[in-house]
Amino acid sequence: MKTNLRLFKMYTLASALTFSGGMAMLPVIEKEACEKYNLIDKETLHDYTTLSQTFPGVIAVTNACLVGKKINGTSGMLAAAAGTIFPTYLLMSLATILYRLIPTEGAFLSALSAVRATSAAFLFAVAYTIAHFNLKSAFSIGFALFSFAVTLLNLISAPILILTALLIGFFIAYRRKEMNHA
Amino acid sequence: MLSLFWTFLKIGFLGFGGGYAMLSLLLEETVQFGMTLSEYADLNALNALLPGSVAINSATYVGHLYNGFLGALVTTLSVSIPSVFFTQLFMNYEQKISQNKYLYSMLSTVKIVAVGLIFSVAFSLTLSTIFNLSNLLDWRSFQFDGLSFLIMIAALYLHSKTDVSPLVLILGSGVVGWMLYYI
Repeated sequence: MKTNLRLFKMYTLASALTFSGGMAMLPVIEKEACEKYNLIDKETLHDYTTLSQTFPGVIAVTNACLVGKKINGTSGMLAAAAGTIFPTYLLMSLATILYRLIPTEGAFLSALSAVRATSAAFLFAVAYTIAHFNLKSAFSIGFALFSFAVTLLNLISAPILILTALLIGFFIAYRRKEMNHA
Repeated sequence: MLSLFWTFLKIGFLGFGGGYAMLSLLLEETVQFGMTLSEYADLNALNALLPGSVAINSATYVGHLYNGFLGALVTTLSVSIPSVFFTQLFMNYEQKISQNKYLYSMLSTVKIVAVGLIFSVAFSLTLSTIFNLSNLLDWRSFQFDGLSFLIMIAALYLHSKTDVSPLVLILGSGVVGWMLYYI
């Protein structure tokens, strides 16, 4: 029980303190779980971090689940996941309510438009960073451009595109295997 | 309520590459609830302003919009279910999963799509905030917002070339937008 409470607190803290996405949580978790309480070793934590980026789903929650499960079984997993979700749910609920109270006219609208424009700019920056790390071949650049164009024009839905990509990936691996055998 | 649950479960299971990649799925899937592009742009702004995971923030926001605190709880929990599922899967089949070449290849191909999807979302938001268009094919509502355009360029520049915190940039742009109204 003590460990679960610790896991919950640790992930609540990490989640409430980190901005712009789940991965920024890692340094806080590392400090608390590895250095302060010796619950898990750094190498395993880093492995789990990579792994949580691999699986679909919420990266921060997957990371919490893996670490929690490793440290204290299923109850640890639930405690860590709850710790990650709780502050975000609470703060975002309040923010949504407050945000909807802002009038959408006059100077308020002008301020909102500026805020919307700035946050759209951030999205471009995020996309660029991910592109920089993942688009290394002509095929990948072309396929990314294709995905961009068809979703923008509403030609193919995102879920279909994702499933297609999984299939293509499967065939690439299959062909590689065949060629190795030949 | 049930459709909120299914929608976010689906977004969770298809959400490769984290919260930002999920935004594109969210944009498509929430049309059925009547979510507008400007509500979506506000979600994006709140994501930048608040701590925590982008995916959880987004799920809470949409749940709240359509069913209050309870709706937000449903969406938040359903988007988290895949995490529990894959954790159980991994702990049971650790060896098989980490050595599987198919899995690796499939995931790296999905990442390529994720890049395209995030760019597409960023572009859609630009269309709506700067040009007042809800999609590329319908130009009737076209209206160029020069000030927002300048603010966006400035934000992009400051964000990529300096260390100014995104939080400061968001709040700063709000203040600038506010003042520009009176000029």
